[in-house]
Amino acid sequence: MFICDDISFDIDGQNLFSNINLNLKPQKDLLITGPSGVGKTTLLSILCGIQKPTTGKVTYNNINIYDLAENKVDDFRGKNLGVVFQNFNLINSFTVKQNLEIAASAIGTKNSNLFFDLLDRVGLADKSHLKVSNLSIGEKQRLAVARAFIGEPKWIFCDEPTSSLDDKNANIIINLIKEESLRCKASLILITHDNRIQSLINFSKILRLGEEL
Amino acid sequence: MIVGITIITVSILVNQITKETFSKNNPGLDAVVGAKGSPLQLVLSSIHHVDVPTGNISYKNAQKIIRHPAIKSAIPISLGDNFQNFRIVGTNKKFLKLYNANLISGTTWSKPMQAVIGYNVSKITKLKLNKFFVGSHGLIDTGDIHAEQPYKVVGVLNKTGTILDNLILTSLESVWSLHTDENKNKLEITSLLLKYKNKTSSFSFPRLINKGTNMQAASPSFEISKLLKLTGNAHRIVDYLSVLIMLLSFLGILFTLLNNINERKYDLAILRTLGFSRWKLFSIILSEGMIISIVGSTIGLIFGYLVYESMHYFSIVGRSIELGQLNFLNDLFLIWITVNIIAFITCLVPCIKVYKQNIRTTLLNS
Repeated sequence: MFICDDISFDIDGQNLFSNINLNLKPQKDLLITGPSGVGKTTLLSILCGIQKPTTGKVTYNNINIYDLAENKVDDFRGKNLGVVFQNFNLINSFTVKQNLEIAASAIGTKNSNLFFDLLDRVGLADKSHLKVSNLSIGEKQRLAVARAFIGEPKWIFCDEPTSSLDDKNANIIINLIKEESLRCKASLILITHDNRIQSLINFSKILRLGEEL
Repeated sequence: MIVGITIITVSILVNQITKETFSKNNPGLDAVVGAKGSPLQLVLSSIHHVDVPTGNISYKNAQKIIRHPAIKSAIPISLGDNFQNFRIVGTNKKFLKLYNANLISGTTWSKPMQAVIGYNVSKITKLKLNKFFVGSHGLIDTGDIHAEQPYKVVGVLNKTGTILDNLILTSLESVWSLHTDENKNKLEITSLLLKYKNKTSSFSFPRLINKGTNMQAASPSFEISKLLKLTGNAHRIVDYLSVLIMLLSFLGILFTLLNNINERKYDLAILRTLGFSRWKLFSIILSEGMIISIVGSTIGLIFGYLVYESMHYFSIVGRSIELGQLNFLNDLFLIWITVNIIAFITCLVPCIKVYKQNIRTTLLNS
């Protein structure tokens, strides 16, 4: 169970958002949407334990991540959450396979078959030796998705996964995310202002930031 | 770092081994009596067999000293020739006892023109038992040889780790037969190596010789400590220089790591998002710095040892003071540890910077 309890965030004394309350059952999907600048990415950082909220609690299966010691937050995120960042956050000097290996080593997984299967499913098996800097935008996005699923997390966060993709690639990525979420029995928390997504995934909840709640 | 450690290693090894070698070469001699001149030169030429002698003294006068009641033992030595730069020393058999030397093969000399050779002499010149060789006039090989009277090798000495390994020993008569007309009144030697019956003679006896004769008595321990004091100052300058180089290398490590983490701060922030904790990244950066330091200081130590070994090899070949074999010195280990402790402290600066990194800000700024 994923619960957000009265989350608010102030930046330079100005309130960005407040009173965010969420309750998401296992394997249910949440869409967070809203216009640019309302703090969607900041909210994702808060939900993932990257940015501390001004007030409120973020609880996964009764564990409030902001009650954990800072080192434990990183560990918790690595083992339980998968994050696909808007700008991918891949290590450009590493190869495709090395990006997966480093993510796996962060959580203590060393199964090389897992890398191969994952790369096969995202269509990058034949590019595992290529450096990230040599991949196309679509390929980078697929690699970022593969990396997010490496630890078979129970909660997957995706920040604007289709914003820079054409319709064809957007479909590929969304289907990929859906399939991997189902395989891992994970809840999907997706942030986007891309209307194409709403028709592709059946979200059980939608949070519209920047609108009256 | 490698250069700094190399210099300091060589400096320490040479400093310590030189002291050790000087002390090994002097088997408890209290004085050297020889011709007037520099007392240090007399000690260096008669005991350590570097430098040229100050001159010769009359054997008749030397015998008076040998019979002096203050003298416990006196060993005459006579220099003048060499074989392939190894000095030929005319002396008596007490000289062998002085260094507790044993023969690997053969016997000691029983008549003139028989020689016993040191371990290094046999190893380098390939001279063997019953082989003949001719001495060359002077203390370095000039090619001016005594072809008419060759020496016969009758004994080879065991390794002693002292200057004895680099000497060719023969009787005084052998040297006299090549250099004097054997008129007993005109016989000369280079010096006398003395031990006193009583240590109190070390004040009165040299005065007696220095003021009452045309000879001089020099104290080996006094002269060598004077020499080491002088060379010690040079060693200190080299040590300061190597410490400065090492300080620069610590700064090098610091700026390399800071530059590295600055270039990789985005990647480090990504690693945090993947689950690497602050402590894990802290230990990775620390390991990087310590690997540079440990590898650098170890290579420096090995280079220093190799430079020392080369010096050791060439010191045998050059027939100068033998630096002695290396035993692992505690000082070097202490330096290695100290360098790595300082490197550890230096590495903490970039590690703390990584520890305190705000991943959200870093990712946003990237």
